Amino acid sequence: MWVYTALATMLIHLTVTTPVWAVLGQTKASVERDRAAFGGQLQSKLAQGYSVETITVGGMSIKEYVSPDGTVFAVAWKGAGVPNLRLLLGTYFDEYLDALAERQNQKPRIRRPLMLKTANLVVERSGHMRNMWGRVFIPSRVPPVVSPKDIQ
Amino acid sequence: MMYRAIVIACLWLVSACGSGGGGNGGAGSSPTNVLTVTVGGSEICTNVNSPCTQVTICQPGTSTCQTISDMLVDTGSTGVRIFGSVLSIPLQQEVESPGQPIGECQFFADGSALWGSVQLADVVLAGEPAVTVPIHVIAATFAGQTSTQNPCNNPVETDPQEAEFNGILGIGLLTHDCGTSCEINDNNNRYFSCTASTCGSIAAPLSTQVQNPVWLLPSDNNGVILTLPNVPSAGAPSLSGSVILGIGTASNNSPSPNISTFTTNQDGSLTTVYNGTTFPESIIDTGSNGYFFPDSTLPVCPIPQQDFYCPPAAINLSATLFSVNGRQAPVPFQVANAASLLRTGNAVFSNLGGPSPSSSPTFDWGLPFFLGRVVFVAIEGQSSTLGTGPLYAF
Repeated sequence: MWVYTALATMLIHLTVTTPVWAVLGQTKASVERDRAAFGGQLQSKLAQGYSVETITVGGMSIKEYVSPDGTVFAVAWKGAGVPNLRLLLGTYFDEYLDALAERQNQKPRIRRPLMLKTANLVVERSGHMRNMWGRVFIPSRVPPVVSPKDIQ
Repeated sequence: MMYRAIVIACLWLVSACGSGGGGNGGAGSSPTNVLTVTVGGSEICTNVNSPCTQVTICQPGTSTCQTISDMLVDTGSTGVRIFGSVLSIPLQQEVESPGQPIGECQFFADGSALWGSVQLADVVLAGEPAVTVPIHVIAATFAGQTSTQNPCNNPVETDPQEAEFNGILGIGLLTHDCGTSCEINDNNNRYFSCTASTCGSIAAPLSTQVQNPVWLLPSDNNGVILTLPNVPSAGAPSLSGSVILGIGTASNNSPSPNISTFTTNQDGSLTTVYNGTTFPESIIDTGSNGYFFPDSTLPVCPIPQQDFYCPPAAINLSATLFSVNGRQAPVPFQVANAASLLRTGNAVFSNLGGPSPSSSPTFDWGLPFFLGRVVFVAIEGQSSTLGTGPLYAF
């Protein structure tokens, strides 16, 4: 059993000191910390000019895209649920929340797939109850050889 | 507190709740298996292309009941979800063990999420007998959580005005909202066991999961039929249609012989091919306000209508639907200028379309698909003259 408040407390504590749980925009080492936090299986795959670390957990597949300089420049997920985006987006989570809140305050409130662009992020979500899909990437950190189409 | 007046509790005797429930359709009474669906004309379900109905909820095993209006009819989700703030009757909290209530986090594709407890209720659909089923009681503050700090790690809905519904009637293809995945994985991030202020993800047995009430009916339990009339190209201020319970189980729900069936995969997805791109996780979803699909040649409307396309003139398009067993059919559809449509003040449109992420596996056939069609939604594992679900037929 994964205790939410305990991790949240750690998250707050660690954010104050050093954002080791932050994944997006952080180093590849944070992928393993994520895997441990989610309690999943980790697989690595090399692609042309980047690597993909896949965590399989709880009926979800979570991919973290790592550039040659070791930075996680994108995350993507697919499966029965949505992973803990606070953990996955790290220091970018609040930027995502602010943009989402702004869209949710618009009327009429349209039920459709989500597409957000923030100062630093592209956020996309779609799918349905047993098959949710989403990805978040930092366009300025995507290596030149990688197409956004590769992130999914 | 406007909604209080609208969904004000009606404490009924069970015999009155279910219109007798025994199907004694006397002269002038509605068939026991028909829910009336309206789009537009409501004070809560105000959003365009939002079909809503009412259901009756009772304290399990009692005659203490309440009718809830403005329930979004959603073929893209599974189970009954109601804001706790509109419920005035006590239900029965599902627990993992004594003192540990079960909560659920339900995510939607638009980035929204619902947090709340899982409670056992008797649900009455139209004049059918009550079924006892776990439902999601939406409450951002359940188990000491808040709208911004909660196990969803996502903003969650706080009230019907914000969400634009009192609840959701999820009557899609599936019996359980999560299924085996949440039964075998304790870190599913959807079902939680809570104490007063902390919640942890747990494996949830199927019997505890939020379920489609239709599959639990004694009869009429193999699916539903959506029948909504078409509207003119400029839209309509409102419309009225039906959800008919059961497929081939009564005189009012038999499929016509020339209907085409489209069996989905086990998650309830079909394949759509549009402009040479394949979308293997496509859905036919009354809960989506339009057709949502990527097409870089269609101009997106200016903010704040960026959820829709704004072609200079209405454009006729076509995509091909594929079932898992190889059947295919072209589906023509139209997308008009959404800014012009929305300026009419109408609430129902057959030609509202908008963008979705180009890499997304989903082509979203939203409410416009249902206008002017009779659409059968057959539940997984249930048999009818159309075959064994999950399948759509139209």
